[in-house]
Amino acid sequence: MVIECLVLGAGQEVGKSCVVVSINGKRIMFDCGMHMGYLDHRRYPDFSLISKSGDFDNALTCIVITHFHLDHIGALPYFTEVCGYRGPIYMTYPTKALAPLMLEDYRKVMVDRRGEQEQFSYENIVDCMKKVTAVDLKQTVQVDKDLQIRAYYAGHVLGAAMFYAKVGDAAIVYTGDYNMTPDRHLGAAQIDRLHLDLLITESTYATTVRDSKYAREREFLKAVHKCVGGGGKVLIPTFALGRAQELCILLDDYWERMNLKVPIYFSAGLTIQANMYYKMLISWTSQKVKDTYATRNAFDFKNVCSFDRSLINAPGPCVLFATPGMISGGFSLEVFKQWAPSEMNLVTLPGYCVAGTIGHKLMSGKPTKIDLDEGTQIDVRCQIHQLSFSPHTDAKGIMDLVKFLSPKNVILVHGEKPKMASLKGRIQSELGIQCYDPANKDIVCISSTHYVKADASAKFIQSSLNPNFRFLNRSLEGSSVLGHVDTTAMSPLQVCDDRVAEGILIMEKNHKAKVLHQDELLDMLREQKHEVKYAYCCPVQFGKFERTENTGLLSTRDVLPISDKCSLLHLLFVKVSNELTEGSIQEFGEHLQLQSFRASVCLKDNCPYRSTDSSHNISEAVYFCCTWSLADEKLAWKVVAIMKSLDANAM
Amino acid sequence: MEEEVRANCEHILSQTSTCVSDSGPCRQALSLARSLIINPSTSETTISSIFETLARFLQPNHNPLSIHHTLSLLSDLAVQRPLLSHQIFNTVRSLALCKDNPTRTVTDALSVLVSIAEPDQTLIPSINELSEGLYVSLCFRPCASVRHWLLLNAKRFCIPPHLLLTLLLGFTKDPYPYVRRVALDGLVGLCNSIVVEDRALIEGCYWRAVELLTDMEDYVRFAAVRAVSEWGRLLVASIQDKSKRDLSDTLFVQLCSMVRDMSVGVRVEAFDALGKIGMVSEDILSQALSKKVLASTKGKIYPGHCSIKQCSTKQFEIPASSAAGAFVHGLEDEFYEVRRSACYSLRMLAILCPEVAGEALNLLMDMLNDDSIVVRLTALETMHHMAIFDCLKVQETHMLMFLGTLVDSSAFVRSVARRILRSTKLYNLAIFKLSVDGLLESLEMYQQDEGDIFSVLFNIGRSHGNFAVSIIKEVSGEIEPSCEGKLGSDSARVVALLVLAISAPLSHEQRICSIPPRIFSYAVTLLGRISCALSDVMNQNTLLAYLSHCSRSTVISAAEFNFKEEEPFLPVTEGGIPNNSGFEIISPAGMQLQKISDGASGIHSQRTWRLKKVPTPLVDYQLEDHEEVSKFVKLILSKIKDIWHLMQNGYTAEVLKMLRSWKEGLITFTTDSSADALVFMLQYLRVVKLLAKVWVHLISRRKLQSYGMGELGLVSGKLDRILREMRYRFIGFSKEEELHILELTLLNCILRLSSIKACWDRTSLKKLYSTVSRIEFLHEEGSSEPSNFVIEVKKSLFEIGASTDGASDSPILFRKLIEFFSLQKFVFCGNLKHVKAELDVHDNDYENPFPFISGLPVGIPLEISLYNISSESRLWLRMTVYEELTEFVFLDLDQFGGCDKIRKFTFVAPFYKSPKANSFTLKVCMGMECLSEDVHSFKGCAGPKHELTYLCKEKELYFSAVIKK
Repeated sequence: MVIECLVLGAGQEVGKSCVVVSINGKRIMFDCGMHMGYLDHRRYPDFSLISKSGDFDNALTCIVITHFHLDHIGALPYFTEVCGYRGPIYMTYPTKALAPLMLEDYRKVMVDRRGEQEQFSYENIVDCMKKVTAVDLKQTVQVDKDLQIRAYYAGHVLGAAMFYAKVGDAAIVYTGDYNMTPDRHLGAAQIDRLHLDLLITESTYATTVRDSKYAREREFLKAVHKCVGGGGKVLIPTFALGRAQELCILLDDYWERMNLKVPIYFSAGLTIQANMYYKMLISWTSQKVKDTYATRNAFDFKNVCSFDRSLINAPGPCVLFATPGMISGGFSLEVFKQWAPSEMNLVTLPGYCVAGTIGHKLMSGKPTKIDLDEGTQIDVRCQIHQLSFSPHTDAKGIMDLVKFLSPKNVILVHGEKPKMASLKGRIQSELGIQCYDPANKDIVCISSTHYVKADASAKFIQSSLNPNFRFLNRSLEGSSVLGHVDTTAMSPLQVCDDRVAEGILIMEKNHKAKVLHQDELLDMLREQKHEVKYAYCCPVQFGKFERTENTGLLSTRDVLPISDKCSLLHLLFVKVSNELTEGSIQEFGEHLQLQSFRASVCLKDNCPYRSTDSSHNISEAVYFCCTWSLADEKLAWKVVAIMKSLDANAM
Repeated sequence: MEEEVRANCEHILSQTSTCVSDSGPCRQALSLARSLIINPSTSETTISSIFETLARFLQPNHNPLSIHHTLSLLSDLAVQRPLLSHQIFNTVRSLALCKDNPTRTVTDALSVLVSIAEPDQTLIPSINELSEGLYVSLCFRPCASVRHWLLLNAKRFCIPPHLLLTLLLGFTKDPYPYVRRVALDGLVGLCNSIVVEDRALIEGCYWRAVELLTDMEDYVRFAAVRAVSEWGRLLVASIQDKSKRDLSDTLFVQLCSMVRDMSVGVRVEAFDALGKIGMVSEDILSQALSKKVLASTKGKIYPGHCSIKQCSTKQFEIPASSAAGAFVHGLEDEFYEVRRSACYSLRMLAILCPEVAGEALNLLMDMLNDDSIVVRLTALETMHHMAIFDCLKVQETHMLMFLGTLVDSSAFVRSVARRILRSTKLYNLAIFKLSVDGLLESLEMYQQDEGDIFSVLFNIGRSHGNFAVSIIKEVSGEIEPSCEGKLGSDSARVVALLVLAISAPLSHEQRICSIPPRIFSYAVTLLGRISCALSDVMNQNTLLAYLSHCSRSTVISAAEFNFKEEEPFLPVTEGGIPNNSGFEIISPAGMQLQKISDGASGIHSQRTWRLKKVPTPLVDYQLEDHEEVSKFVKLILSKIKDIWHLMQNGYTAEVLKMLRSWKEGLITFTTDSSADALVFMLQYLRVVKLLAKVWVHLISRRKLQSYGMGELGLVSGKLDRILREMRYRFIGFSKEEELHILELTLLNCILRLSSIKACWDRTSLKKLYSTVSRIEFLHEEGSSEPSNFVIEVKKSLFEIGASTDGASDSPILFRKLIEFFSLQKFVFCGNLKHVKAELDVHDNDYENPFPFISGLPVGIPLEISLYNISSESRLWLRMTVYEELTEFVFLDLDQFGGCDKIRKFTFVAPFYKSPKANSFTLKVCMGMECLSEDVHSFKGCAGPKHELTYLCKEKELYFSAVIKK
């Protein structure tokens, strides 16, 4: 069986995440994002690769969306409403709630501000959302008879999830974006240990190892405290969802602990609406928020009040959260214009600003004047603080997740090519897991698990149920090597329990597999037990004395009288038992026996087991046929050696 | 009523038993029987008839379910009617334990038997006889739930430990995860309760647990982490050669690899386990504090697990880099439990590797910003711990974070923060200034903390005199009264600055006071407020004397004043919040002030003069009330028994608080007549305090595992010293008193032997023997009965003596002995005499040194007063310039006159090897040989043969070379 993975977007790049995975005949599209950097056809994934005919309903089993960021959901209305996909779509509750806000905001910006031709309308968004099935964390959804999916908490943004999908015996996890360390309002990604054939993971920070977030928080708080302590005003331009709430919790906490009375304002608009969602979706936030929820909703900020334009120039210090994040326009720009000229004030900037925005200008060196447009110039004297919080996991987090899940294969998406290659190398060398970093439109095929069902015999089941451990002591094989770093340490004492190894897998006539207990095999095959035996026809030189005593009786070589046979045997018995140090050989009329070793007089002329290269006088010798099984090989050769050397003794 | 129910029950039972013998009794009948059984007033005859009926149902041919119910009824019956228990026991044993019965039935029966036997000692042998074979055979039956139950209850059966260990180890391989978990838990339990000597077995258990660290189930991994930790430490402890460190590092890295587990419980457990590791290499630890892979650990590989099937691959080695950032992750974990545990475990590790303490501190500082109070507190406690072990180096960059905690909204956090400040060395003026500002700010916001803040200011001022002086110089304008002559004393800030100012002269750095004397007179006007805050350092009288002295003279030596912590027996309460309730001296500040205004100079000059002559408590405004003292002492002694109970139950904080308040109470008595008894009592309270501290460790036995290092060692060292002082620095013991002290000494020896590295054992063991023989002698002499504890100790000493290599491997034996100890009521007669000495030198101070010629001997004229020293005592003067340059001079008491009670004489002590320097400081001290202690050679010089106990404070003398003019 094969899992086929078609990368439509986010292959060796960041943007328009979209991966189509085929498992055992089911095809799942994970994420359906748009690329914010392009305005042409490269903006959307190339859906024609899924189905040339455009019959997406039959080509795809379902779509799974991990979170509400546009590079993960942006193309969805286009795909459902314009391309005409009508199959099931799954996302988490918060994503379903927040995605329309995001999409509509984006649509407005594109159409209203930039005057672009609209790709989808408001109605499209609404209709698209109607097709969505919302799922909860760890809820197993049976998409159809064979396919089941399950969401796991991913951190990153409110409602972000990793998705587990299983068809038959093959199982994969698609992570979307995730964060392995918690922040102030969201928890760390959390997933069970699963048997996976494939893990598709983001790799935005494939080579970065980030230090403790505390240092960054400390810097931020220090800057803000210093500013308000000096009577200045702090402007925090942020995006409405996510970062604003995180920073606000951080400040609110700090305010409370430090007993600060300086007001914190939230500018109206999307942020207020977003806060409302956060307040409702408490179960998707971090443990701390959940813990305190009973006494106080962490998003009911104590020190926060809503802002009013008249307060912009009110005296005294304050902290203001305003949208949009990169001071590209809107309210944050308005406030910035007023506050920038004073040295007492502070502006914090997000970690990343698009080129062309004021945020970007502020980040690249410290300008003293910024030209807003012709005729408007802002005199920038305020302090600038750059935030570097990121909701993505770093390289160590990715490695930790891969190590914890230990899948058979890993595919990296959502990252930059050279960094991904480096991470791929690490995963393969350090964890020994096959790893791929496909480009867009590449197809990766990996083999998947397929279990064969087999019947089991009652006896086998019975034997499996009984504990059957034993201890192996390896210390006999070599000295203890514990504590020496250069060798693989191994305990001399090991436990093993080989119940399954005692079974035998057979294929019955009707092509059904069955497991039997090893004792049942012969019955089943109606065969006798075969045993390998060794045989050797050993010449024994009895001394002259004995020979003469026997000459009279030897009429022909072919027929030996029984009494003679017995006496020869007895003679041998006496001699051998004198010589033999270990074990006691026994006489049983026709043969001598020691364990599985047997010796009897050989009367054949051409015994197949007789060695012919003997330099002895053959006519002088009496032959004894010896047989033994493998287990007693050493012992047997010892006895044979004794028998051969009897000659010399007698002389 | 009873009859009716009984008849009804029997009727149904008999019907079922005759008609359908297979199906067993019906539910209704059983519930009727149950109601009869649990009713205590049911008559004996009814009970016995029910018993007989029930016994019939135990026949093997009955339905297993009904046997199950019957057995549970019988078990209830045995509980209700103890008289029947033997009979029930025998019936169940003969009927239900048949091997052909289903596994569950046999197990049920076994469970009933064990629960009957548990309260009944007489049945134990018969249980032992039958359980071992049966237990093992049941374990190997197919039923997994029975196996689970059996392993879970293994302790209730008396399975020989070696057999149980083998079983548990084997069942860690069970396909059922619950069984694996129980097996691992069992292994952890065994590890703590039995002594495993077979190294291969220890390794087997350890590596098996390591294998299970990768189990699919959370709870198995959880149990595996604990097992790895316990067996790993056992393994490390069992090795003595140089690979010990490598193995300990392996264990550390192994545990570090678990801190990124998805299960919270596993993470917490992993950090708890990390905190228990007693040895780790510096580079590994610094790797655990940094997410980036460090050069020093790159490529280092430790053995990971390896099972039979996969023995050749490299994959099972664990690289040192997997420890990377373990603590960074732990400290930024989403769950406060994990963060707290990570903070806690850093405590031990930072002390183990002081080199990385700075790095750890950087991380910890950020935790002060945590939203959970518990985490903030733990982080602070860890820092406090580091400060105590002198590995807290606060940088200027930390100060903002740290000072934030001084104004924290939680009173606990503030108090711990101040406690840290007390014990921290502040490296430069900037940091000192920041701290003072922080304290002042905190004072403004939280006036309820005033007392403690003053005390901290006083403390840090004393330890950083130069800094304090320069700060005071800066702010002296604030302290000075404004032009109208009004002192701004009502402002807390000014008072705080005054406290800082008056602390400066007491610093060792400051011999000559550079604080303007008038500041001290300002402080006098605030005497009440200040002395209230400083009550743990000095009482009001001392303070007054001190202030008035300073306001006139600029030459101040702290030694002149009777500050409490300068006395060996009165330490500063360790970081405690001063307790200003209860036993405050009753002398209103007004009276003091009046006295000052009366004719301050005369009185005070006289007083300071007296100070120099008689260093016993300064001036007594108090009534000399001998009776009151003895009353109070009696009260304390009668409470000791209660204290002991509290201690055993883990109420350490309460005990310490109580002891502190008693101590404060005692200090307020300043009578002459019972001064010696008072000193003794204070020492005794110290002993009890230290015992309380030891007992915390014993109660939570896991803390005891930290061998050698750590608090326990320190505390027991202190205890040793104090007990020795109590024994030798007092004379006139009654037999009971001496026995009591000896018993405590015995306990301390055993404490040391039970927990501390083998290298100390010889001396402790010797001491143990000598103490025991002394106790024996006293008991024989007084024909009294030795206590249970002493008897047990003697018994086990006999055992140790019989074994070949002494006590080196019997810490567990000793640990058991501790349990026999109980603190008896102390019968105190109060006739003790304190053995003490005073050394005095005229005309020598920093400005006025004795002359000397470098390399030639000097004579030092010493004024010596000896109290209560018999002429047999061997006294020595110890003179130290620095550690290597120490000389001892023997004092032959016969040369000097006087009686045992008091001797006063002048003695010119020769100091032979004056150093080649222009000036030096010589520390002189007087000690008495403890004749019955072990021989203890002072290195490289002719000196005492036995350990010394010092009789007075060290005196510093100044010498300066004679310069030819």
